[in-house]
Amino acid sequence: MDFKKLIAERHEYAQKWKERTGGKVLGWFEPYFPEEIAYAAGVLPVRIIAQHEPDALSDKWIYGACYPVKDMTNQFLLGRMDYIDGLVNVEGCQWIFNAYEVITNNKPDMFKHYLFLPDYTESKTSKDVLKSELLVFKTKLEEWTGNKITDAALDNAIDIYNKNRTLLRRICELRRADNPVILGSEYMDMLLANQVMDKAQMNGILEKFIEELESREPGKDMIRLMLIGSETWDSNLEKLIESLGGNVVIDELDNGTSYFWDNIFPQKDRMMAVGLRYLGRPRQPIKESNWRRRPAHIAALAEDYHIDGAIIAKQIYCHPHGTDNYEVWKLLRERNIPYHYFERDMFVPNDETTLRVEAFLNTVRAGITRLAGWHNTVEI
Amino acid sequence: MVKEYGKWPEFSQVSKEIDWKGAKLIAAGVDVGTTSAQAAILCDGKLFGYANIHAGVDFEKTAKDVIALAMEGSGMAAKDIGIISATGFAKKNVKFASKTFDEIHCHAKGARFMFGPEVRTVVDMGGQTVKAIRLFEWDRVRDFMLNDKCATGSGRNIEVLCAQLHQDITEIGSKSLETEKDPEPVSTTCWAFAGTETLGLFGRPEYRSEKLSEAEIYASHLFAIAWRVIGIIGRLSPLDVGEISVDGGLAFTGGLAKNPGITARIERELGVAAAKSDIDPMLAGAIGAALLSV
Repeated sequence: MDFKKLIAERHEYAQKWKERTGGKVLGWFEPYFPEEIAYAAGVLPVRIIAQHEPDALSDKWIYGACYPVKDMTNQFLLGRMDYIDGLVNVEGCQWIFNAYEVITNNKPDMFKHYLFLPDYTESKTSKDVLKSELLVFKTKLEEWTGNKITDAALDNAIDIYNKNRTLLRRICELRRADNPVILGSEYMDMLLANQVMDKAQMNGILEKFIEELESREPGKDMIRLMLIGSETWDSNLEKLIESLGGNVVIDELDNGTSYFWDNIFPQKDRMMAVGLRYLGRPRQPIKESNWRRRPAHIAALAEDYHIDGAIIAKQIYCHPHGTDNYEVWKLLRERNIPYHYFERDMFVPNDETTLRVEAFLNTVRAGITRLAGWHNTVEI
Repeated sequence: MVKEYGKWPEFSQVSKEIDWKGAKLIAAGVDVGTTSAQAAILCDGKLFGYANIHAGVDFEKTAKDVIALAMEGSGMAAKDIGIISATGFAKKNVKFASKTFDEIHCHAKGARFMFGPEVRTVVDMGGQTVKAIRLFEWDRVRDFMLNDKCATGSGRNIEVLCAQLHQDITEIGSKSLETEKDPEPVSTTCWAFAGTETLGLFGRPEYRSEKLSEAEIYASHLFAIAWRVIGIIGRLSPLDVGEISVDGGLAFTGGLAKNPGITARIERELGVAAAKSDIDPMLAGAIGAALLSV
């Protein structure tokens, strides 16, 4: 399955979808965005994906933010995303909020909505606050699209999205094998493609992909790594790691496993059901109670996926990531999981990152007995 | 010939005390960096010959040249070397090397050879990158950090400045220590800005009226470099909040390790004295590569 092609052709895909259905396209930045509600309104939700190119227009509006935020703004201001009819920002990263404001101020005809999702996800009032916010969002969507969001439409959207998450989880389970049939880079490409496609169509693609994966021969025995850190926009880091003998078998990225880890448990109060899923999903670093929830989730993944080490790659100038570094480092140290932390750019600087990964893999390799004998062990 | 103010002089030496013909294994390590290349030849684990030259863009030729220089006058030829290993950013270009190793492990290994087994923190300050390496008490790397956002702590910074000022790189460090008290450092955000700010200090009225000395200007610049390096060392111990721990023996390697204006300031800020060695600190990577191959 050529997922890279799907990502590269995402703009054309969305434009054709609009022509075919007559529907509207809604852009989102944060994986806390409840896509199900938009989907139930007949809208195509697409993630805005940053790319690496000269930044012509965003510098005068945004200074000091991370590169992806500036690039997404730049792409909008250049008119590359004029097919996107509306934009939603969910409470979270302040740099993204900055981009959202700049874009919507420059494009006043766009539908815009700021969706408040409490940072205090576990307080007594959070679920009721979020439910009321979701109801406001639902009403706004109905006014904008002219489509009534019925319970039947919501149930259908929840089913499609739950199926999508279940399929992604099934593929993720295949990575637990000693010699996984899928590499981390292919997996990340699949996830990125999944975030810009109509989920009903993507589910068909994923079902075929699972059949393909089940017929593949097991892969090589490589150093099993977990990738932790800021959202990513491509699979270049995973590819580089693979070229040096490592494989990202699990991640704890906001646009990675955290995006699909939990399903919605249906209940009569649909908005409450949707809200509880987003409040309960694996935490973004900026959300409250990380000292308890996020490290525990990382620990469970580390155990389940038998990792040999972890790479924590934080986007330069990413402000949410870093707030709970202390807890993540502490957890990995306590469990004797080797890790390397670094700040990456939007692109992966080849020589510098190669040196980091190569040295880290050599450090990890020295402690892995199952790899002794045929890997080049470096002991100083 | 135009004097290269910003380059450490090339050097080489072979031991007269070691009989290389009687050695069971001769191993060579070559460290091809961004600004210079070093070679070390070890006979049964003892340092026999070494050399340092300025790096050219033909990295394979640079590697051959520096190895040839490291055995010059000894009667040894390339065919006598049992194994050649490469490290440094251009290590993959050294196609005649039978093994390559990452710089982190080479500097760690080389530092333990040069400074002794008690070394726990190695700080390699090279042309392009600064690497802080934390070692276990036993022979294994525990953690390492590299500069990622800024090259202010790198050797290239000071090379460019010395070339612009026509100030010999071998003297700027000791001159900077002629001040009674360090002035504020120049910009630590970017080495290009740091260089510009330092040049700007020479244009200030305070300099013209001798209220600001040349030594103080150098101190400002080298303090900025030391500041950056200290930050990288500090990231090695993420759990010791508010404290920079050097976990015992500290050793400097790389070209900047020969600049007392930087090393003394790091030692002062960390409150520790770095280990000393008779071997040139630029050779640590090459020595480590040779040792790791056997």
